[in-house]
Amino acid sequence: MARRYDSRTTIFSPEGRLFQVEYAMEAISHAGTVLAVLSKEGIALAAEKKVTGKLLDLSLAPGGQMGGEGNQAWLGGGGEKIFLLNNNILAGLAGITSDANSLVNFSRNAAQQHLFTYDEDIPVEMLVQRLCDMKQGYTQFGGLRPFGVALLYVGWDSLHGFQLYQSDPSGNYSGWKATCIGANHSSATSLLKQDYKDDLTLEEARSLCLKTMSKTMDSTKLGSEKLEFATMTLDPKTKQPLAKIYRPNELDALLRQLELGGTSDDQVGVGEATGGGGGDEGNVAMST
Amino acid sequence: MDTLVRQLSRPAVPVHGEDDEAYGNAAEWGSMGGYGNLSRTGAISGMTVPRVLDPISFLATHTDNLSTNPEAKIKLAHGTTCLAFKFRGGIIVAVDSRASAGSYIASGTVKKVIEINPYLLGTMAGGAADCQYWETYLGIRCRLYELRNKERISVAAASKILTNLVYQYKGMGLSMGTMIAGWDKTGPALFYVDSDGQRIKGNLFSVGSGSTFAYGVLDQGYSYDLSDEEAQDLGRRSIIAAGHRDGYSGNTCNLYHVRENGWEFIGNYDVSQEWYKYNEKEKKALEHAGKAGVQGGSPMAVEA
Amino acid sequence: MGDCSFGITGKDFVILASDMNAGRGIIKMKSDENKIRALGPHLAMAYGGETGDTEQFTDYVERNMRLYHIRNHNALLPPAASAWIRRQLAQSLRSRKPYAVNLLLGGFDTTTSLPHLYWIDYLGTKADIPYAAHGFGMYVALSTMDKWWFEGMPKEKGVELLRKCINEVQSRIVVQFNFNCILIDADGVHQLDLSASDPIADLSRAPEKAEVEVPNPIIAAPA
Repeated sequence: MARRYDSRTTIFSPEGRLFQVEYAMEAISHAGTVLAVLSKEGIALAAEKKVTGKLLDLSLAPGGQMGGEGNQAWLGGGGEKIFLLNNNILAGLAGITSDANSLVNFSRNAAQQHLFTYDEDIPVEMLVQRLCDMKQGYTQFGGLRPFGVALLYVGWDSLHGFQLYQSDPSGNYSGWKATCIGANHSSATSLLKQDYKDDLTLEEARSLCLKTMSKTMDSTKLGSEKLEFATMTLDPKTKQPLAKIYRPNELDALLRQLELGGTSDDQVGVGEATGGGGGDEGNVAMST
Repeated sequence: MDTLVRQLSRPAVPVHGEDDEAYGNAAEWGSMGGYGNLSRTGAISGMTVPRVLDPISFLATHTDNLSTNPEAKIKLAHGTTCLAFKFRGGIIVAVDSRASAGSYIASGTVKKVIEINPYLLGTMAGGAADCQYWETYLGIRCRLYELRNKERISVAAASKILTNLVYQYKGMGLSMGTMIAGWDKTGPALFYVDSDGQRIKGNLFSVGSGSTFAYGVLDQGYSYDLSDEEAQDLGRRSIIAAGHRDGYSGNTCNLYHVRENGWEFIGNYDVSQEWYKYNEKEKKALEHAGKAGVQGGSPMAVEA
Repeated sequence: MGDCSFGITGKDFVILASDMNAGRGIIKMKSDENKIRALGPHLAMAYGGETGDTEQFTDYVERNMRLYHIRNHNALLPPAASAWIRRQLAQSLRSRKPYAVNLLLGGFDTTTSLPHLYWIDYLGTKADIPYAAHGFGMYVALSTMDKWWFEGMPKEKGVELLRKCINEVQSRIVVQFNFNCILIDADGVHQLDLSASDPIADLSRAPEKAEVEVPNPIIAAPA
């Protein structure tokens, strides 16, 4: 019975459901957790990395030079889970990596297109809408598979300040104070519900974000090899949005400070053999 | 089947070259779709533009609607006086009836007021064919509007349809200077629309080669508070004045009065007969005033 | 080109003024044509140029500004609006039939509480400047504004400067002009009655004063 209605994305089942879209959402609930917490001073975003392993050579992958602040965040690129979409917008992705790459590319294009026509950074919600309009299209037109990706968008614009959005394969999106997608998202969300307060500082948001992450993830000790982390704040001098993707050593330092783990310095691999170049100490820990 | 799938799946990957492109076809989904041979933009499918790379410059070398290109093969000769004004009692529309082709008077009995419908009048200056064709077409659009919306179109909307239309053909040799006059929910309304795409709302306009002469009489005699008779006379007198002075205007004057319940044709008057009638009348009035002046001791009269 | 328009920014406002002539060739058919268009709650432009193009382009801009507002729940801010309008003109310039429209765009940025004024021409040139003129105003009144404009002007001084400019074109330019004028501040777009002795005081008294259509004027004499 089900077979008749789940082979096409465009066909409703007799109960009024779109199975393909639901399957896509199901795929995401097995993906690495992505979690974000909003505060008045900025937003913290953490993501669980699933693809790890001693033999994985990440030196030439997008995340090989991972991390940085402001322009460095562009140059360093993201990891496999957190990407800078525009100066003022970061995204954490959960789902099929190749689908995610396509969406990241699309949204970077959309953001540049907006900059080109309006000479201003794209407002956060508008970018979310652009992306969701496209995702929605894939739930309606025949012969196509929906994107198996959910996203958290973390951004700032002059109209609404700091904002956090979430979107799923159906093209639905919503705004949040703190939210989570991926594996264990429902338990993480209820944890966030308990601990979230409206007047969090950025410091507290970072800590809430990582603490909830540590409770949600399977491993007892967190470390940069299993985690990506980023913040969106305002530059204290220019009052312009400042994205920061944490370098592995910075993240480990933060985790140690919060007593959540953090690979100790002596454990950091002798990864220089992968020829990262540039001498940034941030390269090293990626190949753990 | 394959083509069907392709057709259906095409919009799923929107082209994102242009910002607005992704939403560009939205209108085709709704009630904006064309009716009959009227396309969505309102252009008649029969009105074709030369199939060359740049129709505007192509037409500019062959037509001469601005009388600036003596080399052009197609010459549009035109001479006209039209006027219309709003006043307390509605709108007066008055026109001459001469059609000229260079120095030759082609006709002396042209109807230059186009009765678009019982509530709308259009005047004709410039290319007679252009005006007749497009104002008839405007009549079609106004009737369709009535049928679809179960109420009469406003003068503002009707004139906007015409402007948008001629603007599509801007630079391609259309030559029109027209006034759209009528009565709608807002009361009397008068618009000037020309082939440049200009559209202005106003209380008093005159158009055509004789318009300067008509203005000369009209401006000096105009008041919003004129009676119906005075207003009709002012319109007629102004056309007579222009018909007398302007070589490309004349023969007869057609006079219309627009009121709440639609327009009314007042009459057709011979320009030269009227001119001498008016002359006689004004001479008498002057003599009368002269006498009165002497008695009254006006400084003008003393000098005379 | 018989157009003439001015724009002046001050501490917390921007003023736009435009002539009101409409006609064909040497004939003035109307002297009370409004050539300033409100494009949003805090945005307006004064426009001039090729007849026909002006109205069509202004309609196009107005509808697109409205569409953006409807889609995004927020009107475009003046800097973004100016960039969009400039781009439309620049793209149009490379088309088969370019819009020949010059404009002054005035707006009030509600997020920063700053006034903005942009001088834009049909070639797609855009300048973000504190005071500006198009048409005849450029010849005779730019120096007037150079001399009397100052940073952080209050509204009264802005009107005073505008009056100087209008007086200059009315006395030095052969064409006769009537002017219509608006002011944009934090409260929105207001009509300014230049015939009043103190238009700014009138403004605070009746901010929602609707413009009434007078049945009489044919060609009004210059003030």
